[in-house]
Amino acid sequence: MKSLRRDLSSDPQASNVTSKVFVRSTKSGKVQKIVRELYLRQDIPCSSKLCSLCPSIAPSDANGNVAPFVLSDRPAGTKAFPRGHYLVPDTNALLNGMDLFEHTGAFYDVIILQTVLEELRNQSLPLYNRLLSLIKTDEKRFYLFFNEFRLETHVRRGPDESINDRNDRAVRAVASWYEEHLQVSAKKGKKEKSVPAIVVITDDKGSIRKAKAENVTALSLSDYVSGLEDSDKLLDMIGEAREARDTKGPAGQLFYPEYMSMSKLMTGLRAGNLHQGVYNVSPYNYLEASVKVPAFNKPLLILGRDNSNRAISGDVVVIEVLPQDQWKSPSTKIVDEEAVTRNDNPDSEDTEAVVSQNERKALQEEVKRAHGNSSEGKPQPTAKVVGMIKRGWRQYVGNVDSNSTGSQAASGRRQQTVFVLPMDKKVPKIRLRTRQAGDLLGQRILVTIDSWERDSRYPSGHFIRSLGELETKGAETEALLLEYDVQYKPFPKSVLDCLPAEGHDWKVPASKEDKGWNGRRDLRDLLICSIDPPGCQDIDDALHARSLPNGNFEVGVHIADVSHFVKPNNPMDLEASVRGSTVYLVDKRIDMLPHLLGTDLCSLKPYVERYAFSVIWEVTPNAEIVSSDFTKSVIRSREAFSYEQAQLRIDDPSQKDELTESMRHLLHFSKILRQRRYDAGALNLASPEVRIEASDEVGDPLTDVKTKAMLATNSLVEEFMLLANITVASKIFNSFSQTALLRRHATPPPQNFEDLINQLSKKRGMELDVSSSGALASSLDRCVDPKNPFFNTLVRILATRCMTSAEYFCAGAHAEPEFRHYGLASPIYTHFTSPIRRYADLLVHRQLASAIGYEGEDGHAVIEGVHTRGKLEDICRNINYRHRNAQFAGRASIEYYVGQALKARGEKMAAGGTDTGIDEEGYVMRVFENGVVVFVPRFGIEGVVRLEDFVLPGESGSFSVSERRELAVHRTTHFNPEEYTLRVEEKGHPEKERGVDVELFQRVKVNVSSVKEEGRGAGKRRVRILITG
Amino acid sequence: MSNQRQASSASQTPHLSPAELSYLYTSLSLPKSPIRPDGRSPTQFRPLSAETNILPGTNGSARIGFADGTQAIVGVKAEVEKTILSTDTLASGIEDQVGGEGGEGEGLSAAATGHGSWVQMSIEIPGFRDDDALPVFLSEMMRESLVGSVADGEGSGVGEMVGGLKGRLVINKRWHWRLYIDVLLLSQPLSYPLPLLSLTTHLALLSTKLPKLKSQGEEDPFFDDDWAVAEYLYPRTSTPKTGTTSHVRPPVTLLVVSVGENVIFDPTREEIAVADAVLAISVTRDTEAGNLKLLSIRTIDPPSRLTTPAVPNSENVNMLGATASTEDIAVLNPATGEEEVPGVWRPRRGGIKRSVIAYMIKTVLKKGGVGEEVLEGLEGVEVE
Repeated sequence: MKSLRRDLSSDPQASNVTSKVFVRSTKSGKVQKIVRELYLRQDIPCSSKLCSLCPSIAPSDANGNVAPFVLSDRPAGTKAFPRGHYLVPDTNALLNGMDLFEHTGAFYDVIILQTVLEELRNQSLPLYNRLLSLIKTDEKRFYLFFNEFRLETHVRRGPDESINDRNDRAVRAVASWYEEHLQVSAKKGKKEKSVPAIVVITDDKGSIRKAKAENVTALSLSDYVSGLEDSDKLLDMIGEAREARDTKGPAGQLFYPEYMSMSKLMTGLRAGNLHQGVYNVSPYNYLEASVKVPAFNKPLLILGRDNSNRAISGDVVVIEVLPQDQWKSPSTKIVDEEAVTRNDNPDSEDTEAVVSQNERKALQEEVKRAHGNSSEGKPQPTAKVVGMIKRGWRQYVGNVDSNSTGSQAASGRRQQTVFVLPMDKKVPKIRLRTRQAGDLLGQRILVTIDSWERDSRYPSGHFIRSLGELETKGAETEALLLEYDVQYKPFPKSVLDCLPAEGHDWKVPASKEDKGWNGRRDLRDLLICSIDPPGCQDIDDALHARSLPNGNFEVGVHIADVSHFVKPNNPMDLEASVRGSTVYLVDKRIDMLPHLLGTDLCSLKPYVERYAFSVIWEVTPNAEIVSSDFTKSVIRSREAFSYEQAQLRIDDPSQKDELTESMRHLLHFSKILRQRRYDAGALNLASPEVRIEASDEVGDPLTDVKTKAMLATNSLVEEFMLLANITVASKIFNSFSQTALLRRHATPPPQNFEDLINQLSKKRGMELDVSSSGALASSLDRCVDPKNPFFNTLVRILATRCMTSAEYFCAGAHAEPEFRHYGLASPIYTHFTSPIRRYADLLVHRQLASAIGYEGEDGHAVIEGVHTRGKLEDICRNINYRHRNAQFAGRASIEYYVGQALKARGEKMAAGGTDTGIDEEGYVMRVFENGVVVFVPRFGIEGVVRLEDFVLPGESGSFSVSERRELAVHRTTHFNPEEYTLRVEEKGHPEKERGVDVELFQRVKVNVSSVKEEGRGAGKRRVRILITG
Repeated sequence: MSNQRQASSASQTPHLSPAELSYLYTSLSLPKSPIRPDGRSPTQFRPLSAETNILPGTNGSARIGFADGTQAIVGVKAEVEKTILSTDTLASGIEDQVGGEGGEGEGLSAAATGHGSWVQMSIEIPGFRDDDALPVFLSEMMRESLVGSVADGEGSGVGEMVGGLKGRLVINKRWHWRLYIDVLLLSQPLSYPLPLLSLTTHLALLSTKLPKLKSQGEEDPFFDDDWAVAEYLYPRTSTPKTGTTSHVRPPVTLLVVSVGENVIFDPTREEIAVADAVLAISVTRDTEAGNLKLLSIRTIDPPSRLTTPAVPNSENVNMLGATASTEDIAVLNPATGEEEVPGVWRPRRGGIKRSVIAYMIKTVLKKGGVGEEVLEGLEGVEVE
């Protein structure tokens, strides 16, 4: 029997068509073979400005424009490549050295292959995104070459060739093609231009060897960098991971258990034996973490290094519950990493055990405790990390641990290993290899984690850049912004191009025939005013009230019409959606929108006409709402008041003008609304906020630190903003039942309050009823200590911490009963009133405009992006994240400022004598076995008071930090976890009068001063709190 | 039309006159040396063109075109499926040991040895509905031999396939592959399409690959995403000389007809029309040793049964007295045991002698016989 095979070789097109085949496993468990056809082409340009061939063949877009060529015709040369060179990195080079490629000092004219880009995406999404933004910027001249689609550079995988080998071969193929191509084009151009060298950057030794055989120039990343100027600095930026593994050979001792295989994890997760969640380290104890998993109400505890198995705060991990005999109660001890592991040597790898002796001791004591009080302390389920789904690693701000640098730190350029202490206490020390240890000491630096191998006790990372000296304003501010992922780079040109061309001269069109007036109501004759904090530039909102002939009142809230200026999906809109929110630091504001809009064109400044979005109610004198109306409008604010000014004007009986009268009406209504809200069960929550009024006066900087004063006018504005938000929320929900952007505050699960309820009933005999927000509100009202006026606020602060945080969501994502805003006791809520500083409000504006049929100035307002739920959910996720970070950054900034203010004061005092700190009142918030957490309302800060910081009777409180540290050794404590009391006394002196007793909620006298902290908090100025009795 | 289709399972009979039928029959039944209309020897196959992996989206595929212009394409797709264990089988494992295959106890054993229903076959023939008798019959006939072939030897060597195709489909106790074999006849069914479809299916299965399993044991299956490392459904051993060969082969069903004492392979449509008996013989090779194994023999309703008989001159009124009576003397046909007038066509009534069947099987199975020739020929089709 003969069998013949059809011959394809005669088909001239055959070589142009090829395919890519792979297996895809879907979430539902399907396994599919996927075939993608590839049509190879020859018109993909090399994009070198040297090339005379490609410009004629390069494809053009629909408008006939050819993408400009990227690679310079005069690329930079080095010692090794005097004629200039183009770089072709492979995936590993990018993985290890992305920071180098981003460096502005070197690495120009880089050809990024499609193959490499795709491989990078599979390996690390963040790096992929960074590379993409590198390719987008013009100045670094990165060119994305679609080598897989070009006939000459497409590489078919050979039989028995691994995919890595194939990709390496593709890189070499591109390099040799470029070489040849540029030479041909140079000959053709008949210009005796020197052809730049094509340099492959790869860390794969095999690939370098093969490249040699194929006559391709290939260098390892470190070899290449060594040939550059400034190589010392650059060498530090190479990723630690692979290199180290190479040199170390087969790893010695493995400290950590291996992660389970992916398939095992998946099986376990599906079967419910394993659980997935975000790894969250306790702020008080670095050896304790919790993972909240959907299967259980309460988070699972993870104790100790063995169980945490290389997880870092923020990672998505898979955990396995430990047997019941290993369950423990959460620790009652404050454990700082640097205190316990101070003496670790970063260089020694072999001698170190994964759990050092000190650590083991710390943990043992805890176990003892957990077992000891098993009468009351129910041991909680614990778990261990068995797998890693996604690393949450980012760039960390920190400083080099001065203890870890060798004695010869400053001398020479020898490479040495040091520890970096990240600012974030939840992140372990990072091992870093550097040649500039001496220079880096005392600097705020940015580092990243590359890997955490099983044979290494700490993760290893590499240096990215220095932010400046510790404790300098610039470095610390930038550190803060980086740490909270705030986008602080100036707005790019593409964004600024979206601003109105008139700039500051923009005005509301004078003629009502102008298209700007389409669909706008003329509200210029209304007596509108704004009330804001003093010095406010971005005025979002303004108000008015007037009586109607029928005895009712008309009340209006007017919000800056930002959506008029920020059109959907233009670069400005995209930038704003990424920023999500304006971030307020003490001395700096990071705007969401460019300055021109935020502080001028959108801002409802007094005396000028501005576009606004108005919500107008008709209310009865009893503040019953008769009707509500929404309209785009033009307003002219009569006055911009500060809260105090407004208050003074209202209180001044001599003021009888209409504007003041309308403010009095507003105040009257706001009081009714407020009462009604509380009757409905709204919570009056407290957050430990202070306000810093920065003044240039030379006086005591501490006087700038003010606790927020609540004036009646504050709540005037607040009530009407809440009312506007609620009214708008139900309007947009009616129109867009699936896509309305709303804000909810989930009812906190009762078990969140368990601890607080226990503490209150034990210490004060008070009840906390958490069955509903109304019940909680009234029971909070009852938590009053007549002797201690601040006690109620303290309880409110603690109660607030038990709650979940409010979040933006898209109406379709939850069932309607879940829309409830717990804190405000409103069935529905959104954010509408601050579009200048919150992106959510801007979206809500667009949705409301669409809901009321506003057609925009050209008759067809586009509200795309407001209708698609998927996109909205993405935005929600981002703005929730940004919102939270903005709050954290703001708080951290205040904390830093307070520290600096104390320091400045301390220095001043020191000049005149000794620094004695400031005596203040503090309140005990938490009691640990070896310290307490004290809240100081005057500065809105809370601090850990350790053993040594207790001033025992009969000793002076003015020891230096190091002297005090010595004290800790001589002290002993009696901790009663059931009564929340702690007694500190001198060892061997159990006499009653020699010790200090503290208990939860107790008011204590504290002495606050700023001390220079060593180690992790370096530069941060730890605020030292001494309990003086 | 439809009635006729239902009746003539062996496809349409060519329009031949009784005299032509008789002539054909006579030349094919010449003792020891039949003369076939196309001059082939009785065991000679017509040339065919074949190729594999023509459908990139499938796990395996093949196309075969016969010399008479009939063509078929087969695509094989595989899907991961959860093995459902019925609760009663879980409760009583003993029953399984006693009952073995079939019936209630099948569930648990299926988890270990596979289940016939995991292979699904659908055949599309132009002009036929998918529930017509012919496609249903054909697909069942081919599927049966596929899932029925289980190696009985405790093969432990490389390239063995323990448990046959069914066993190969087991991933672990809770998961298995389900195979969908889609057979498409591209041309009109000029001759009986079984051999064409069977050969094409054979080739397609040979080229079929399953993604490589990365998980182990009773874990949920997890596969390597690289298609290049996917493994053949029918395992192969590589030898330095010939590259990779697979010793275990999917079954092939051959169509054989008997005419008189003669056995004719790869019959044409005309040859089938006069055959005494039409048999479908399925053979396979399921051990490395290389001996062919007979899986099944099925008789197929011969179309000659439905032809119109010729009238001998002696009975023809028009010919009364025109011929000598001696010409019409009926003789005993040795193959059928019926009295026939030579040169006068009578529809065959079926029936075949044991000796003919025995000869048939021997020709197929013997070393260097027809079976091996076919398998070798198919192996010649480069399977990528």
